[in-house]
Amino acid sequence: MAKPASENRRAQRLLFEALQAPEKLPALPPADWELLLRVARRNRLLGRLQSDLEQANLLGQIPPRAAAHLRASHNVIAHRQTLISWEVNRLLWALKGIDVPLILLKGTGYLLAGLPPARGRIFADLDLLVPEDRLGEIEERLVERGWFKTDIDPYDDRYYRVWMHEIPPLRHRERGTEIDIHHRLLPKTSHLKSDPAPLFAAARPLADPRLRVLAPADMVLHALVHLFLEGDPDEGLRLRDLVDVHDLLCHHGQEPGFWAGLALRARELGFQRPLFYGLHHAQRLFGTPIPPEVLRGLADAAPAWPIRGLMDRLIHLALLPEHPDYPSRLAALARWLIYVRAHWLRMPPGLLARHLSRKAWLRFRGFRKRIDLAQLDLKQQ
Amino acid sequence: MLVSPLADRLIWQEWDDIYIVYQPAAAATHVFNETTVLILKCLQQGPLSMEVLRHQTEAALGVSQDELAANDFEFATTRLEELGLVEFVDDPSTAQ
Amino acid sequence: MIVGDLSRRELADRLAGEGLALQFGPFNLRIRSNLGSFASLAHQLYEPYPLPEPAAISDFHVDISAPRGLRRWLRRQACFGIDGQLPFAPYTIEHAFPALEWGINWCVATRAHHLLLLHSAAVERNGRAIVFPASPGDGKSTLCTALIHSGWRLLSDEFGIVRPEDGMLLPIPRLIPLKNQSIEVIRKFRPEAIIGPSFLETRKGTVAHVRPPVESIRRAQEPARPRWLVFPRWVAGAPFTLEAMPKSQAFLSVATNAFNYEVLDEIAFRLVTEMVRSCDAYSLVYSDLDDAVNALDKLSQASDG
Repeated sequence: MAKPASENRRAQRLLFEALQAPEKLPALPPADWELLLRVARRNRLLGRLQSDLEQANLLGQIPPRAAAHLRASHNVIAHRQTLISWEVNRLLWALKGIDVPLILLKGTGYLLAGLPPARGRIFADLDLLVPEDRLGEIEERLVERGWFKTDIDPYDDRYYRVWMHEIPPLRHRERGTEIDIHHRLLPKTSHLKSDPAPLFAAARPLADPRLRVLAPADMVLHALVHLFLEGDPDEGLRLRDLVDVHDLLCHHGQEPGFWAGLALRARELGFQRPLFYGLHHAQRLFGTPIPPEVLRGLADAAPAWPIRGLMDRLIHLALLPEHPDYPSRLAALARWLIYVRAHWLRMPPGLLARHLSRKAWLRFRGFRKRIDLAQLDLKQQ
Repeated sequence: MLVSPLADRLIWQEWDDIYIVYQPAAAATHVFNETTVLILKCLQQGPLSMEVLRHQTEAALGVSQDELAANDFEFATTRLEELGLVEFVDDPSTAQ
Repeated sequence: MIVGDLSRRELADRLAGEGLALQFGPFNLRIRSNLGSFASLAHQLYEPYPLPEPAAISDFHVDISAPRGLRRWLRRQACFGIDGQLPFAPYTIEHAFPALEWGINWCVATRAHHLLLLHSAAVERNGRAIVFPASPGDGKSTLCTALIHSGWRLLSDEFGIVRPEDGMLLPIPRLIPLKNQSIEVIRKFRPEAIIGPSFLETRKGTVAHVRPPVESIRRAQEPARPRWLVFPRWVAGAPFTLEAMPKSQAFLSVATNAFNYEVLDEIAFRLVTEMVRSCDAYSLVYSDLDDAVNALDKLSQASDG
């Protein structure tokens, strides 16, 4: 047992030190580079390391093999970012004449607003928040202009429309990027309330006045909601998403009034507990500069002991990176518990049981997410 | 209605009367025939009305006026618009 | 140091322990396996491949092992793993070797985006390379295998790896998986070719691996300049033809068949454009390997003269 534990600690130390002090990376021995590359890849942070080293003008001073992996990751990210920006461009074209505010969420927002988390970050889809009563009009226009509703089975379609906070994704027939259109930040079924009206009122316009991003406090809160409630049972809490939160706090924290308003806004939107956990763990893992009075002011948002101690431990375990050769059962359990908790918060129990059993059944029938590509020619991937 | 160029940078490669055009903003490679390329070239000087654009394209192709079928021409411009290579804008001179 | 310098026992220990470090062209791999049958085959077929310097970084950590737990006793299976993840459904244990070989290609195709990865075979002679872009069922592996046993050097069978800095082809002389009737065709054409065992009923039919000539493996760090693009097609009984191909068509075939043309954006457009500009492009139809080898020899000699 001793080796797996020490190797996991080594993997964690390498990743956190690389994120906090990239200027020390040129001195890293090759064996550490090898492990760092593996851990950073698993945690989707290769691009981040590339960008840190590029900013510090140090890419030429690391082993060429490591630089090659970082270059590969940079190329993929640059490509995805081009595609997302272009999809926004085409979206504006398609919606010409429809006067509706489009709030760009998550990565799309960071990218178009030029915010720090966009750096070295891969974004899969284009995420939009629009007023619920305009959904039909937007969807109809996009379908007219070449997008189609991605093929999903009737259960999923109904699940999306009746219970969720978004509609089934749309995709252009010639391009691969999916557009996820949300009308609130959390499912209607969620235990946390999520009235979207205040978000629209506070949103800030970008260069094109139809495009908005969430106000700074709302953006942080949404990143936290995404981190804690939209996880994945295998990946656990994505460390990458907490890096976003850290970046946003460092960036928006410079803005006067940001810290004073953050906790207030969280209470107004019903997100004080994700904020409590998020600030606590960002500070613990990344040393995020958070004014002590903000943390003190949130003390009453924490759950009571011993739940608080347990959650602290679970969240920490679910966030920590692992050595790829020494997976920990305890961490896997923590990731699963956190996932079930997130679903619990998003859905009432009856629906949760139905949804999870449906998922289990799909898996049984062989509709696993992990598709077997082996029968296809390599090229077709 | 005017057809207006959306002059993001394009990279051209011509082989055997076929044009391979790379559009960096969209990360897309297009394959165009001569007519489509001439439409884009005619627009390099600025926006034109549909009618004028069609006549200029015909002149550049060396065919007589109205020889390009209106349908084909409209299809090509609509396609270019969809690809984000041109834009249809209201003509300010007829806006009143 | 090469794999052949290790005893069978040493190789098996490495595979079962920290992993066997191997160099395949631009990539260093670390391979683990707890299967004895795999170790024997690796010892035989990987024999001339170099081991990287001890301190070198491994690019991919792959694993081909029997799964742990209950399932192991139900059906004998092998799982392909990369960095502790299992991207594919298990294989029957008899197919462990082709599964690993295929898995390594998958790693390169999905991760090595610092390079342009064409889907093509490539061979070299006198510093000039022929690239054979692939299309399914065209028999590029058969032709490529025939050429490398007729005086050409193998650059690669699956990947045309183009270095973005200068458009040079980087060799990756891996084993060549021949399928179905190609295996017999090559056994007859060059009886001296080293071919591993036939794996029956794999997901791609019968597969057997050709070990490239030692010379190709030894020169795996020498890049080559692309000079010809040849699109081969094997047609039973067809008369031999070698015809110039329009450049626009060559461009489209190369670009649409590449593994990561889309990912590399403008870099890829420029590299493929430059390759098509500087290469002569031909389509080749053949039914007899000797015809094809002779014609390509002539092409190369004409260019030497």
